Formats: sequence, structure tokens, C-alpha cells
Amino acid sequence: MSAEKMETTASVSNGAGPVYEGKEDALSPEDLSEVLAAGTKEVHEKAENTQFVKDFLRGRIRKELFKLGAVALYYTYTAMEEEIERNKEHSHFAPLYFPTELHRHEALARDLEYFYGPDWQSQVRCSQATQHYVDRIHQVGQEDPVLLVAHAYTRYMGDLSGGQVLKKVAQRAMKLPSTGEGLEFYQFDGIHSAKAFKQLYRSRMNELELDMEMKKRLVDEAVKAFQFNMEVFEELEEIGKTIQEDVLDAGMPVHGAMGGDINKCPYYAVKTAASGGTAYASQLAMAVLRHPTGQVLLATWFAALAGLAAWYLM
Amino acid sequence: MTDMDAETSAHTEPMADEEESLFSNLDIFLFSLIIAFVVYWFMSRKKPEPIPEFKKLDTPAPTTRETSFIEKMKKTGKNIIVFYGSQTGTGEEFANRLSKDAQRYGMKGMAADPEEYEMGELCRLSEIKNALAIFCMATYGEGDPTDNAQDFYDWLQENDDEDLSGLTYTVFALGNKTYEHYNAMGKYVDKRLEELGAKRIFDLGLGDDDGNLEEDFVSWREQFWPAVCEHFGVEALGDDSSIRQYELKEHTDLNMNKVYSGEIGRLKSFEVQKPPYDSKNPFLASVTVNRRLHKAGNRHLMHLELDITGSKIRYESGDHVAVFPTNDSALVNKLGQVLGVDLDAVISLNNLDEESNKKHPFPCPTSYRTALTHYLDITNSPRTNVLYELAQYASDPKDQENMRKMASSSPEGKALYQNWVLGASRNILAILEDMPSLKPPIDHMCELLPRLQARYYSIASSSKVHPNSIHICAVVVEYETPTGRVNKGVATNWLKNKLVTNNGHKSTVPMFIRKSQFRLPFKATNPVIMIGPGTGIAPFMGFIQERAWLKQQGKEVGETVMYFGCRHKSEDYLYQEELEDAEKNGVLTQLNVAFSRDQEQKVYVQHLVKRNKEHLWKLIHSDNAHIYVCGDAKNMAHDVQAALYEIGEELGGMTRTQATDYIKKLMTKGRYSQDVWS
Repeated sequence: MSAEKMETTASVSNGAGPVYEGKEDALSPEDLSEVLAAGTKEVHEKAENTQFVKDFLRGRIRKELFKLGAVALYYTYTAMEEEIERNKEHSHFAPLYFPTELHRHEALARDLEYFYGPDWQSQVRCSQATQHYVDRIHQVGQEDPVLLVAHAYTRYMGDLSGGQVLKKVAQRAMKLPSTGEGLEFYQFDGIHSAKAFKQLYRSRMNELELDMEMKKRLVDEAVKAFQFNMEVFEELEEIGKTIQEDVLDAGMPVHGAMGGDINKCPYYAVKTAASGGTAYASQLAMAVLRHPTGQVLLATWFAALAGLAAWYLM
Repeated sequence: MTDMDAETSAHTEPMADEEESLFSNLDIFLFSLIIAFVVYWFMSRKKPEPIPEFKKLDTPAPTTRETSFIEKMKKTGKNIIVFYGSQTGTGEEFANRLSKDAQRYGMKGMAADPEEYEMGELCRLSEIKNALAIFCMATYGEGDPTDNAQDFYDWLQENDDEDLSGLTYTVFALGNKTYEHYNAMGKYVDKRLEELGAKRIFDLGLGDDDGNLEEDFVSWREQFWPAVCEHFGVEALGDDSSIRQYELKEHTDLNMNKVYSGEIGRLKSFEVQKPPYDSKNPFLASVTVNRRLHKAGNRHLMHLELDITGSKIRYESGDHVAVFPTNDSALVNKLGQVLGVDLDAVISLNNLDEESNKKHPFPCPTSYRTALTHYLDITNSPRTNVLYELAQYASDPKDQENMRKMASSSPEGKALYQNWVLGASRNILAILEDMPSLKPPIDHMCELLPRLQARYYSIASSSKVHPNSIHICAVVVEYETPTGRVNKGVATNWLKNKLVTNNGHKSTVPMFIRKSQFRLPFKATNPVIMIGPGTGIAPFMGFIQERAWLKQQGKEVGETVMYFGCRHKSEDYLYQEELEDAEKNGVLTQLNVAFSRDQEQKVYVQHLVKRNKEHLWKLIHSDNAHIYVCGDAKNMAHDVQAALYEIGEELGGMTRTQATDYIKKLMTKGRYSQDVWS
């Protein structure tokens, strides 16, 4: 190839020739990294401006929604990383295979365990919007693996950029521990410099052997990926509207979110008292029975009764 | 039942005399007593919670918010106010920490959101004694203020005739170097306040979130407070007592099994090694090779090989190996002598702040000897805050004054620190020796000294060829200081002494791998241009080994071009045999070596790069070559980049700006990588 080039440009004194030749702008991007960036610029802005994301950036994120968001991410990354594993030797994906550095599904599993407890797997489910996204990822991975690049690009590059900002916002907004629990998704232990890694990732994308048509298809798929993500955000927004209004600013958490003992909550008791006498009485009975001191009292009362009975009888 | 009654009552009457029945009255009585006791015990422990009658909460009548921070400060007795421009909360967090710090120095601080206060009152700050305004300003987006600082920003811009001569201030900026307008907001506030007549009492702090924002903040703040104390003539909380963060506990008769002897993480982790290995749990690799690379001259260059068999550690060429070095024992002993202490005393330093996650400054309990050898940095020049805190232990008042002065922001103080400490390369021992009236207690000193850091080296081998061995190429650091002492680099001297012996005792190096992003192209057909003078050649030895291996595997390998530089061909031409062999075998398609001091004028790698400009430009522009630069950051990397701009200009027919953009774009696209150090 180099020999040919030498001959054709022999008229010019050097081997490569000037960058700006005639009308054609030789710097116009053909590199996949640049084509993808340009092609997704618009949809990226759109995603940034969804209500969910805007609120998130301002620290207005309710813990319940954040948890559901983490669940959605878990299913998404599990699907994506499964397909990546399947295609790790495929010529159209191999250069981008960075499991140690990038893969998130284990970190997400740890986050979900932190939020939902050890039996989190039985407590979470894949929402409808997430399922759409997951289905597409599986379809692509099995039928047209090159398009997997678009999904990997959309998620991982994002995680390494704005994703880092989201971590700080989330930590502060939900008072998560500074030791990082609940936020391991955002922590890339295998990457020392996000900037350097993104550069490496771009160089690998550009090493894929693809014609212009293929690159355009990748842009389309990347735009689709953004849209799937926006669908998930919208679904979360909707769910957010149905969750009990909590007064986050005043610092009072929603019961479910904090996982506290609902029977200790005076508000709850008042609510149930208001809702009906018998219900209240049975609630009260249940509350007493559930309460450890209540149990002890009942036991001792029973024992005292037994003692008295024995005394009386004997 | 009645029958039973009759029976049992018949039985119970003689009960008092007999002790045969199953339940005597006494038993029942005792049983009930026990129950009563248990009930009493439970009752007195925890009152059963009554479900309360709850009144509806009255929302308190909204009070008119105090928008005058001056009034607020006066009312609450505060003299320091920390304004924050924060979007994600970090700026606010830093402001809170700074306002809390104030009390350690006998002052009172408060954090304030500029959006909530009348910033026009800044000129009134002099109404308060010893007042100081600190600004923690984050930059948002393209050099913009954060939302809550927008009004303040507008106010600063609009009011040219505002007289802020009554305002003393300092700014800490939060930003990210990957953005073009790095710390624009912080820099603007710092500059603008000065323009409007305010008095800056400490340098602008620049925090880089792309690097380590927390570290930047902590270093700045450590030097900032002593400067503040100096400025206000305030003693740091009490003359006799000092603000200690940790409390000393001396141990006598402690089981040696519970004492740390140099482990980084888990106790005994050097005796019982368990994967996975990382920065908290390093692997003890044995040294299998330690040879000199130089042929002559007084610089000592070395090649080491570490055996990682059985560790399950994997690496790739281009990665970094981190090692945990120890300090020179002679230096540690001298410190013990100068301080007049028994270094083998076993101690713990416990954090006085019980809520802190950091219980000790280094693994405790341990001996002073271990702390000074394994855990503390005793070779770098101490920072100003260390001098400030130790000043109280100088019995000579002039010494005390000087030490405090060096921590201040006064020009004489800064100059003194620059000359006496930095310029003269004085480490803590030198300071103690040259200032005999300074006699600090060793435990306070141990609290103040920074932790000894791991050192990183670019791996000089390819895992394809050497899967169980990690190679290191390093130059031993040793130099004479202006005071006539000889300063030695901690890690390089330590490595130099890791000899390979035949007597059964193995030299070991605690290490772990840090993945880098310095990688050969995925496709072997892509040409590579490697520029690595001096020890910068390290990762390229790995690259060359890997390209050779690929060739052996029958793969088609693109051009492999090497630029190396050193001082004298006969002295420090590292890996000469290996490089010349590689050239002979065609693994290196081109080997260019610059010997800087072998002729009249200096010849460096960048000169050779310019000589080859046609060929290089072709590789870069048409053949998709990847460029790699490794070595000195300060001059070489910069000069090589400049040479490439020139080539782009000349042969690419571009203007200087276009050439610069072109090369910078190569960096963004990962085709121009740097592994440089200063």
C-alpha cells in the first residue's frame, strides 16, 4: 500500500502530501470516534435535557427512584456484558474488549445488595422500558454484533464522563456513605485516568475495519441506544409521580426507602387510627405482638398467670 | 379438678415438711419471684412505646431571612465567612470543612451561599475584627459560574467602581483540567477582587477533579491556615498545648503478633499472602535479576526482574508496576539519635475524632522504627504546615519565628522557605540538625509527616514473552545538596540494594500492578513510532518484545520505529545489545539514537525526529501510525510535541494553529500517547 502511495504522489516532494488539498477537507472526520460523536450530539443534548436528568443534576433525586434506576442499569449491563462476552473474539468487537476496566454488572449487583439487602434478586424485576432496551441488546449481540459497539460506546463513554459528576450528586443528595456503598457502579477501579482510557477506547474504535455505510449504521444504533435510555428515564419519571410524596428537603424519609420499622412511625399510627377503629385495634394488637417488648410482656404475663394458677391449684 | 385439688391439697399440707413433690410452694414462690424479677428488669430497661396522639405539625411562621452576612457574622461572633459556588455539592462541602477548621485556630467560621446574601456588603467586612472571606468557587460548563454564583458573578462584572479595600480574601478554585476553561471562575474571582482593591492573603488554590481534587484541597488548606494565623498574628490555639489530631498511646508488653512490622494492609499479610493483590495487599515478588545497564560513568542505571509466579497477577506491556519502598536505615537511625528516643518503643497514634474513618495515621500498633522506615516520608522537604506546627518546639525564639514565618504568605517568609528548605533540599533530618534548638516530640512529628508513597515504574517487559516476570528499568537518584549532604532517592536506592544472592535468602519487593492506557495498537499492522530517551525506553522494551513475538507467530507487523537518546554512547546506551539485535532482525524497522554529549552541540531525540520528517509524516498521516512518548515530562515531551507541530506545518501545508489542532486531535483519538514523569 505504501509503495503505491509513493508513486502516485511522486509529483509532490514528500510521501504523504499536504493535509489541505483542493476543496476537499482532508480533516473531515472519517474516524468512527468522530462520526459517532457528531452523529449523537443532538440526541445526547436531548437526553441531558430530560426532566429526570435535569432534576438529578440539581440533586433532586429520590432514593426510591435512584434504586429503581440502579435496577434498570443492572439488567442493561448484565445483558450488554453477556453479549460482549459472546462476541469478544468477533473481529468487529475484539479491539474494544476491556472487561477488567469496564464491566459493571458485578459492581451493580453489590450496589443492589446494599440497597435491597441480601435477597435483592427476589425483590427486583426488569421494568418494561428496560426490557425493550435489553431485548434490543440481545438481538444485536446475537444477530449483528458490530452494532454492539454502538451500545458499548453510548453507555461506557458516558459513564466515564458525566457519570462521574452524577456520582457526587447522588452521594450528596441521598447522604450515601463516603466509603462508596451504593455507588460502586460509578467507581472504575481498573481505570487510573478516565481521560486516557477514553482516548485509548477511541483509538480502538477507529481500528475497527468498517466502511462508511457501516459507520452510519452504528450512528443510527447509537441514537437508538440514547432513545432506549430516555425511555427508561421517562418510565422512572412516571413511577416517581406515583410514589408517596416525601419531603426530602425537610429531611424526612419515606418509610420504604429507609427500611425502618413502620410500627414505630407515629404518622402511620395516626393514619391507621383515622382509617377505622377495628382496623386500628387489630393493628395495635399486631404492633404489640411484633414489638419485642410486647412479646416479652406477654410472655411474662403468661408466666405470672401460670405461676398464680399453679399456686392456686397446688 | 376438685379431685385433684383434694389430692394435691392433701399433699400440700405435709409439703412444708417433705421435699418430694414436684412443685412445692417454695418452688412456685421462687418461680414467681424470678418471673417478677424478669418482668421488672424488662420494664425498667425499655418502656413500651405508647402510640402517641399526634397533633398536626404547625409550620413555623416564615421569618424574614437575614440577607446581611455582616449582621449574621456579628450576631454569631464569626470572623471568617466561606462563600461557595457549588453545583454538585463539592464546593459547599469544602466550604463547610474550612469553616469548621477555623475553630482549631481559635477563630469562628461560617459557610454561606452567595445566592442568599447581599454580596454588595463585602466592602463592609472590615467592620469585623480579623475578618476574612474565603471563596470556594467551582467552574461549571464552559468556564461559567455555578447557578448559585451567577448573581455574584454578574455583580463582580458590573461594578467597576466598587471599593473593596476593606476586604481580605482568598480563593480556592474547583475545576477539571480536561475542560478548556480550567478553573475559569475561581481564577476570575481571585483576579477581580484584587482589581477592586481587596487584599489577597493567600495564593489561589487550584483543584483539578481530573487529577485528585481532594488532595489538591487538602494540600492547599494545610498551607493556608498557618498563613492565616501568621497574617492575623493569631497563635494556633494555645501556646503550650498544640492542636493534635492523634493521641499517643505507649504499649508495654504487647504480643509481637499484634504489632505491625511494615505491612500495608492486613496484619501478617507479608507472611501469609492471599490474592488478589492490589494497593492494599501487595505481593512479595522475589528479585531474580538485578544488573547494571550502564557501561561507565557515575550514574547508576539498573535492570531488575521480579518473579510473579504463583501470584495470579496479570499485566500487559505498557502497564505500571508499583512498589512499596522503605527508607534508608541509616537515615532512620540518625533521626532517632537527633530526637533522642528509643526507636523500638511500640506505640499507637489514635484519632481524637472518634467519628473519623481514619483511626490512625499509619498502621498501629507499631514501633517508631517501623513507622519511620516503612510508613512515613522522611526524605522530601517538609511542607510549610509541618514547620508551622513544629515551631512551638524550638526553644530559640528566633528559630520559632523563622519557622512560623516560612509558613506565612509574606514575601520574606516565602523566600525563606524557598531558599532555606527547598533550594537547599533540606529534609526533616537536615532541618533538625541545622536547627539544634528544635526538639519536637517524635510522636507529634510522626503525626505530621506524610505517608510514604508507593513508586510507579513503567514495566519493561511483555507479558506475552515474560508472563511470570516483570522487568524494571530505573536510574538511581543520588545528588549532593547545597548543604553538602547527599540526598538519595528512596525507591531507587532500595531497589539497587535488592541483590540476587545464592545463599538462600531472597530479596523481595512488595508490588502490585496499576493498569495503564499506554498500549500497542490492536492491529499489528499499524506502524508505531516510539520516542523514549533515557529510562523512558522502559515500556518500549516491552513493546519491542511483543512486536517480535507477533512476528514469530507469523503475523504481519507494521513498521516499528524507535527514537532513543542518552548522554554518551560508551556510558548510558541502555539495552544497546537488545536494540541493535532488534534492528538486525527487522523487529525494529528503524533505530535512531541521539548521544547528547558526544559532540560539540547537544543532539536530542527531537532533532532526530525532525531529520526524519518526511518518513514520519507519511507514517502519521497516511499509514495510521500510533505515536508513543515516554520519559521526561518537563522538557523532552514538550520539545517532541513542538517538533511534530513543525513537521505538520511544513509537510502538511498547515498553519501553526492547524498543525497544533491536528496533533492534539491525534491525542484525543488515542493515536498519540504519553507516559511521562517529572
